[in-house]
Amino acid sequence: MMISLRFAIPTPNTLIPTKTKPKPGLVDQSGLNQTALLSSLPKRCESYKLQAANGRGASVVELPEGLSRELMPKHVAVIMDGNGRWARQKGLPASAGHEAGVKSLREMVELCGEWGIQVLTVFAFSTENWIRPKMEVDFLLSLFERALKSEMESFLRFGIRISVIGDSSKLPTSLQKLINQVEETTKNNTRLQLIVAVSYSGKYDVVQACRSIAKRAKDGRIQLADIDESLIEQELETSCTEYPYPDLLIRTSGELRVSNFLLWQLAYTELFFAQEPWPDFGKEGFVKALSSYQQRQRRYGGRHS
Amino acid sequence: MDFNKESQMSCSWYAQIENRLLQLLWHLIHVTIDLCYFPLGIADVLESYLISWGLLGRYKSFNVTKLRYLAIVVDSEEVYRTSKIIKLLQWLEAVGIKHVCLYDNEGVLKKSKDFILEKLDGTILFWDAHENDVLSDRQHMTLEFVSFSDGKEAVVKAANVLFMKYSKSGATDQNQKDKIFTESQMSNTLITVGSGGPKPDLLLVYGPARCHLGFPAWRIPYTEIVHMGPLKSMNYGSLVKAIYKFTMVQPNYGKLFFDLHCCVCKH
Repeated sequence: MMISLRFAIPTPNTLIPTKTKPKPGLVDQSGLNQTALLSSLPKRCESYKLQAANGRGASVVELPEGLSRELMPKHVAVIMDGNGRWARQKGLPASAGHEAGVKSLREMVELCGEWGIQVLTVFAFSTENWIRPKMEVDFLLSLFERALKSEMESFLRFGIRISVIGDSSKLPTSLQKLINQVEETTKNNTRLQLIVAVSYSGKYDVVQACRSIAKRAKDGRIQLADIDESLIEQELETSCTEYPYPDLLIRTSGELRVSNFLLWQLAYTELFFAQEPWPDFGKEGFVKALSSYQQRQRRYGGRHS
Repeated sequence: MDFNKESQMSCSWYAQIENRLLQLLWHLIHVTIDLCYFPLGIADVLESYLISWGLLGRYKSFNVTKLRYLAIVVDSEEVYRTSKIIKLLQWLEAVGIKHVCLYDNEGVLKKSKDFILEKLDGTILFWDAHENDVLSDRQHMTLEFVSFSDGKEAVVKAANVLFMKYSKSGATDQNQKDKIFTESQMSNTLITVGSGGPKPDLLLVYGPARCHLGFPAWRIPYTEIVHMGPLKSMNYGSLVKAIYKFTMVQPNYGKLFFDLHCCVCKH
């Protein structure tokens, strides 16, 4: 599932009731002139909820009823399943399913940024997907490349940090370079970290961690006796974030499995399986998932991951 | 200036009215949705009881051969309810499940395995059946007991075996590293260190949280996971329903996920 993000901030809050006047507190992370931003706002009487950002990117947007900011998960992972099924059910071409899925992802990214979720990880392309016809794979990767290029400005404007995890060695060279560029350019953004898993699987992640450790041991930087769980965890590709373990995993379209995604990291992750396909998931589905997370008693079995 | 001030106050007033109306609408939507889900919840509970009483025909007998290996995860707070666990296993045997893996984080069930086996006539350990080549014996249910040490800790053990192999090989090139550290090598080594059981088709979680609590992750990449609620509230109907639903599902490993991308390719 490739993403295409078009963010327009500030946005008028037409759903969440507001109580206060707009707070012109946009923290400029992209070097854009704040006065210029504010002056571009349409002149309306309604209260706009400007995306005020503090150092960590927490928003002052009022949460939907029943959700508590203190209980918001730090890291949400999503398996975005069902675009094709959605399109087939509606008698639409597959491209329409993809476009609808993009819209759904865009909405989720915005909501995560507004509601104080720090990390969003999305499963875009699995290692198992390489067995598909080459033409399909090439098209998909080129689409991802175009999306990254076109959304760079949005990432900067919205304060999104992009990280890509997975076996990049199999990706086209141009895409590898672009990924490096995007990661480098957005590395100081703090509003939300969007981790895109491409050519990734949970088993791949564990094996590559072991390879990294083997190299360090061979170089004499560590002893074999030092190798334990925490060392493996340090070498997993999800160590690119401050919160590597998802608090909540959402999978749409009715499937009840994790499909080799983040295997090591999901031991104590709340699993939420939604019936609706990804394009239909939206804000309401997300609120349901978050409510379920916040309401259910969470136990780590005496160990904190 | 007065006119501007009055205009601003009017706008603010209208905005407040609008926000109140939106808030009311939001509450109405919530109540409507809750009212819709309430009867569904009641129906779900009723169905479970009807199944337990044997009043729903399709649940009385169905083909469970598709469910080759079932895993049960029990929350550490409920793992001492041994009588409940034995009852659960008896239900599973009655339904026709042949191979069950029991997991709890701290290994309490492992320590109780002799007691549990004693209470279930004819049930034997999975690995004993495997060694004696009687897995296909349809008379007995087999049990496997695993804990957190069979998960991440086992992976660390297996990784250490591979590290030793790499170290002893004396090789420094990437190719050798790539040959030793592979998914299949890890899978084989997990078997060597005693943590390489079958991949469950279905995993039922009994506890307050909807998570697998550290079940050996290497074994569940494509396992269907169902949260059953607390063990103290378990009922036969819900168990049968979960197993029945699994038998009706058409798994679509790999292809299903890639359907997500096929629509992109056609774009």
